[in-house]
Amino acid sequence: MGKIDNIIFGDNQFFGINHMSQEKAQQLSEKFFDTNNIYKVYDIAFDSGIKAVMLNSNDRAKEICNHFRENKSKYSSINWYPSIPYPHKYANLVAEKGILPAINDVLFKDNSAMGVIGMMAKGGSAVLGKDAIKLMQMLIDVEMKIYKGLNVKAVFLQNIVTDLILGFEIKEIFFEYCEYIKKKYNAIPGLITQNMPHLLNKLKEWDIKEVVICSSYNKIGYLMSPDVVSYSEAAASNNPEDYQLMAMSTLASGAITAKEAYEFINNQNIQSVVFGASSKNHIAETVKLITI
Amino acid sequence: MNTKLYINHCFMSNKIKLSIVGFGRMGLTHYSIINSRPDVEIESIVDTSPIVLTMMNKYLPIKTYKDYNELFETSKPDAILVCTPPNLHYDIIEKAFRSGIHVFAEKPFTTKYEEAIRLKNLFDSSELVNQVGYVNRFNDVFVKTKELLDDGVIGKVIRFKSEMFSCTITKSDDASGWRASRESGGGAIFEMASHAIDLVNYLIGKPDKVVGSSVSQIYSKAVEDAMSTTLLYKCGTSGTIYINWSDPSYRKPTNKIEIFGDKGRILADQHSIKIFANKADIEHNLREGWNTLYITDIFKPVPFYVRGNEFTRQLYHFVDCIQDRSLNNQCTFEDGANVHEMIDKIFSDYEINGKF
Repeated sequence: MGKIDNIIFGDNQFFGINHMSQEKAQQLSEKFFDTNNIYKVYDIAFDSGIKAVMLNSNDRAKEICNHFRENKSKYSSINWYPSIPYPHKYANLVAEKGILPAINDVLFKDNSAMGVIGMMAKGGSAVLGKDAIKLMQMLIDVEMKIYKGLNVKAVFLQNIVTDLILGFEIKEIFFEYCEYIKKKYNAIPGLITQNMPHLLNKLKEWDIKEVVICSSYNKIGYLMSPDVVSYSEAAASNNPEDYQLMAMSTLASGAITAKEAYEFINNQNIQSVVFGASSKNHIAETVKLITI
Repeated sequence: MNTKLYINHCFMSNKIKLSIVGFGRMGLTHYSIINSRPDVEIESIVDTSPIVLTMMNKYLPIKTYKDYNELFETSKPDAILVCTPPNLHYDIIEKAFRSGIHVFAEKPFTTKYEEAIRLKNLFDSSELVNQVGYVNRFNDVFVKTKELLDDGVIGKVIRFKSEMFSCTITKSDDASGWRASRESGGGAIFEMASHAIDLVNYLIGKPDKVVGSSVSQIYSKAVEDAMSTTLLYKCGTSGTIYINWSDPSYRKPTNKIEIFGDKGRILADQHSIKIFANKADIEHNLREGWNTLYITDIFKPVPFYVRGNEFTRQLYHFVDCIQDRSLNNQCTFEDGANVHEMIDKIFSDYEINGKF
């Protein structure tokens, strides 16, 4: 398994996501409504020495990917870490239509003619043929289209999907996901979870290795099930050759100061941190504080 | 349940055999969550879709039924989770009662107040655990808000405003599926306002009178997309509810309540509680003026997380209540029926007073 970047620049700050305050989320959403403001922050991050970006396949990601593709020579050294899918798109579609019509919509309505023909050929039978694996592969392809041509290092499955399937305890889906990401995208499979110790145990039990596991990781145990002690223990006994661990929500949505947060993180057996910030000072300070 | 009691149950009692009736979005979510309880064994699922059943048969070690009658005729689970379209709830729950099965029903509980009352009365006459899926009652912020209100932190409640917004329905579509008709339990009042109404019932109490109700259609053809109403109490308290599920300015569903009392004011949403205390309150660690409790200050982690702590806590509570009958259920069929009483009053107020 290739080694992942130890600092990755996240995207929550750009899309009005703040787990602590809806007001703050709203303010950020307004600020970054103009995509040029997003590019400016990326440039600050790259100038601060960051060489990796995690970007969710939300409705604005396409435009961002286009920008970086068009300026590829300038950004040739940047590694990309897509996270898929954009959960709210599916949540709303499913609420409106039901699960199967929603999947059908995503696969056959939201795509250009070229893409649809290819997908129909491959998966025409999947929709009718009840093959979850093929269906999953088709959905991955839909989500991954926007990242084409970028240096994709790892592909992450969002926690709502990972944890749902983890609860179902279906080994085959995890196995096939990982294989597909490795073979089709030549990338490291990644799983985002809010249940890191449990997922790690299950993957070991199923002998699914060479995976990046990304989870909330902060000293107050926010969004960490079952608790912070279990996370520390799981990380301490983990072999990074099998599973690289990536921490997100390190500041617990701002409940912990950066200094305190990274004093804790730097002492954990973690291989990578993904963080988001929008000011030059915050970005520079964070990069300096992370010494994993 | 405390840890010791929980472990005792895992070793001493047989596993609770469970069936999930209706395997759409909520059925899937509940399966994933409750499958993490060591004292629960999911035996079967019921769904009308052959694609869903074939797929689940392929990957899960469970029985599948395409008709719930078949489930009740051929097996007897200890408990069921009812996640079908709401218009089917009554028949399923009534049959479950006849078989002596504990029931967790998704919201809205039924589509008619009379049916809700009948089910409440049936289960009240038995020892069977009955719960409705008003998940806000298990949300860290709203549980804390309830605690603060019950402790009298803002004194007597005088006014409140409960609001919910989302971008669930943002384009016109052909009116199909159960969500497109009120008879089958669709529409923003059954699906969304029911949460806001239950939150008011839970935090402040059931209102005595409904006035000034209005409903709006924005994109939907046969059901409403927005609703507002005013709720009055004999004690003098009053408040409003406003919900809108066709507002694209909200990236994800938002739920907030503002409560004004004679000793202060509380603003709560899924992320935080802001408390304005007219005077410092040492017991609750509140200074005079504004205080903020963030979700990071008040959250309690759950053993397994799928879709928010409250979803796990809600189902674990259902199982806890089956394991330990001395526990009081936090969201019973009576609570579900109370929501329908208010929904009926809102529709009727709008029909009588709101139309030209």
